Amino acid sequence: MSNWKLPFFITRHFLYALVLGGIAGIGFMIFLIEFDHLTSTEAFCTSCHSMELAAETYRKSSHYNPISGVRASCGDCHVSEGVFAATWDHFMGSKDLFSQLFGPDYDDPVINALHLPDAAFSARKWFEDRGSATCLRCHVLTAIQGNRPETNAIHVEETEGKSCINCHINLVHRKVPDQETFKRAQWNQMIETEFGLEPGTADRILSEE
Amino acid sequence: MDQPANRLLFLVLLSFLNLPIYAAKVTLNPDQWGDPAGKECISCHKKSSAGLTAQWENSKHAEAGVNCLDCHKADVDDADAIKHEGVIIATIVSPLDCSRCHTTEYEQQKGSVHSEAVDLIKERLPALAGHVGGNAIVAAGCDQCHGSSVRVLGDGTLDPTTWPNSGIGRINPDGSKGSCSSCHGRHKFSKAQAREPSACVRCHSGPDSPDKAVYEASKHGMLFAAQRDEMALTNDSWVAGKDYTAAPTCVSCHMGAAGKLKSTHDVGMRNMWSLNSPISEKQSLVVFESGEKIELPESIPAPRRGSELTKADGSMGKVKAVATPARRRQAMSMVCLECHSKPFTKSFMRQFDDVVMLYNEKFGRPAEKIMQTLYSEGLLTPTPFDEAIEYTYWELWHDEGARARHGASMGSPNHTWWEGMYLVGRNFYAHFLPQVLAVAGKERGDAIIQSHVRSLDQHDWLNHPRRANPILGYGKGRPADE
Repeated sequence: MSNWKLPFFITRHFLYALVLGGIAGIGFMIFLIEFDHLTSTEAFCTSCHSMELAAETYRKSSHYNPISGVRASCGDCHVSEGVFAATWDHFMGSKDLFSQLFGPDYDDPVINALHLPDAAFSARKWFEDRGSATCLRCHVLTAIQGNRPETNAIHVEETEGKSCINCHINLVHRKVPDQETFKRAQWNQMIETEFGLEPGTADRILSEE
Repeated sequence: MDQPANRLLFLVLLSFLNLPIYAAKVTLNPDQWGDPAGKECISCHKKSSAGLTAQWENSKHAEAGVNCLDCHKADVDDADAIKHEGVIIATIVSPLDCSRCHTTEYEQQKGSVHSEAVDLIKERLPALAGHVGGNAIVAAGCDQCHGSSVRVLGDGTLDPTTWPNSGIGRINPDGSKGSCSSCHGRHKFSKAQAREPSACVRCHSGPDSPDKAVYEASKHGMLFAAQRDEMALTNDSWVAGKDYTAAPTCVSCHMGAAGKLKSTHDVGMRNMWSLNSPISEKQSLVVFESGEKIELPESIPAPRRGSELTKADGSMGKVKAVATPARRRQAMSMVCLECHSKPFTKSFMRQFDDVVMLYNEKFGRPAEKIMQTLYSEGLLTPTPFDEAIEYTYWELWHDEGARARHGASMGSPNHTWWEGMYLVGRNFYAHFLPQVLAVAGKERGDAIIQSHVRSLDQHDWLNHPRRANPILGYGKGRPADE
C-alpha cells in the first residue's frame, strides 16, 4: 500500500454521485444527439401542417431529388452541425412552435403564403450569419463543377467575402424577392390572384392578426 | 413651296419637328457614368455570360467607360428592382433608362408610331389573338414586334408571358414605352448595325410589311448591296449626300440626316400616308407640349398651334406643332433631293400616290362598303374571323393591299404588282366577290356588287364579258374583238 490517499471529500457518496451523474450526463448527451437527429427529419418537421406547405416546394427542388441521390433533409440545411449548436437552434426554433400554437393559423395556405416572405427573410439572415455553414457540410466551393465551363472558376475566383446564400436564394422554397426590393402590396396581390380572393383580402387578413 | 416665304416657313416648321440638333452626340459630363460599383460586374460576367460581356467590351459604351450598372441600376422602389450581388438593378433597361444620357433620342421616339405600337393594334388584337391565335401567339408573336406590357410578379420575377420581349412599343415596368434594343442589338448597341436594313427585318417582314424584301428588290437595295463598303456605316456623322452617297437604307429616309434635314428617332414623322390601314389616308402629325403625338387624318381639320386637342390617352393636351401631310412629304423628299432632281422626286412620289389611290378607290373603299353592307344586313355574324369572307377581306387590305402600297412607296415593282396589287385584284375578283354572292345569295349579292363594284369605271370591264383577249388562250389566232 502506498500513502496515496483520497482527499477527504471523496466519500463513497461522492463516488456514487459521480458515477450516476456521469451516466446521466452521457445519457443526456445521447438524448440530445438523438433528439437533434429526430427533430431534424422531414417527418418530424412536417408533423406540423404548416411545414407541410414548405415541404411541397422542397420536394420539387434539386435538394430533394438530385441525380446523385443525396437528399438533404430539413435539418441538414436549417439546423447547425454539432450537438450544442443543433440544440440551440432547436431551442430557438421552438418560437416557431409557439407561433404555430398561439399565432396566426399558419396551416391555412393563404395565411402561410402571406407570411412566407418574413420567414424567408429570417431564414436567409440565419444562413448569412453563419456563413452558410450548413451548405458547406456537403458543398465544397472548389469542387463545384456545374454544367458550364466557367462554373468552377466563378465559385473559386468570384466568391471572396460571400457565402452561398448571398447568391443562391430561392433554391428550394417558393420564390421570394430580396428583402430590400420586396413589395408587400405586389406580394399580397399575387397571393390574392393565386387563391382567387377579392382584392384587399390579404390586407384584411394581416391586419386582423 | 417655290416662294421664298413658303420655303422659310417650311424650314421653320421643320426645325420645330426636329427639335434636337444632330444625330445625337451625347453631351453629358462623363462624370455621370462609370459607376465604380459597375466595374465589379465584368470579372464574373465574363465567365457567366461571356457572349454579352464580349459584345459590351467591343462597344462604344465600353470605350467611353459606360458599364453594366450605368444602364442597369435601379431604385429599390422600382417595380422590377432586384438585388444582385449587393446592388439594386433591373433586368430591363427601358428607354427612360437610356434617356439618362440619350435624352434627345428618347424625346423623339416618345409618341412615335414605334413607341405607340401596342396601342396601334389594341383593337385588332382581341379578335386576331383571341379567335384566330391564342395567348401563346400573343407572347411569342404579336408582342415580340409590337411590344408586351411587361408584368412584374409579386415574387419579383418578370412574368414569362411578357418577358423576354424587345417589341418596339413595349410598355416597361417604369411606364415608359419602347425598347431601344429592338433596333440597337444589345449589348453592343452599334450605330452601324442599326443603320443596316437588317435592323428592321425582324418586324418589317411577313405579308403585311415585307419592307426589307421590298427594299432589297428596289434600286436602292441593289446599290446598297453592291456598294456596302462605301456606306460609311460606322461614321459618327452620317448625313446622306455628305458622308455617304452610295445608297439610302431604311434609316436614311425614315430617320436619317440628309442635307439640312436633321435626323430623328421619330420613325413615322416623314410618312405622309397611313399605309397599313383598310383605306389609306393622308395624315397630320400633331405634337403636344407634353411630347406626346397623335396621327390625325387629313379629313379632320388640322388644329392650330396652342389649341387644345384630345390626346391618344383621352386627356386634353396643348398642341405644340403640327406637321401636315404636305410638310411630311417635303421632309421625306429632302432626303431624295440629295441624289435626285426635284422633278424626278415629285414624279416618283406621284407614281407612289397613284398606286395608293388606285388601291383606295378600286379595292379598299368598295370592299369596305360591301363588308359594312353585309354586316348591317345581318348577312354576316358580327364575330370577326368566323366566316371565310372575313379572312379574304382582312388579307385584301392587311396583306397584299399593304404590300402593294409599301412596294410602290419604296420602288419595288415586283411587290407593287405581283406580290401586291395583282393579288389584291385576284383575291377581290376571284375570292371576295364570289364569297359576297355565297353569303348574300345570288340576287342580293348581285345587287351589292352592282352598286359598289360594277358601277365604278375601274370595274366596268366586268360588264363586258364578251371582250376577248388571248392572254388566257381564248380565240388564239383570231382577232381580239371576235
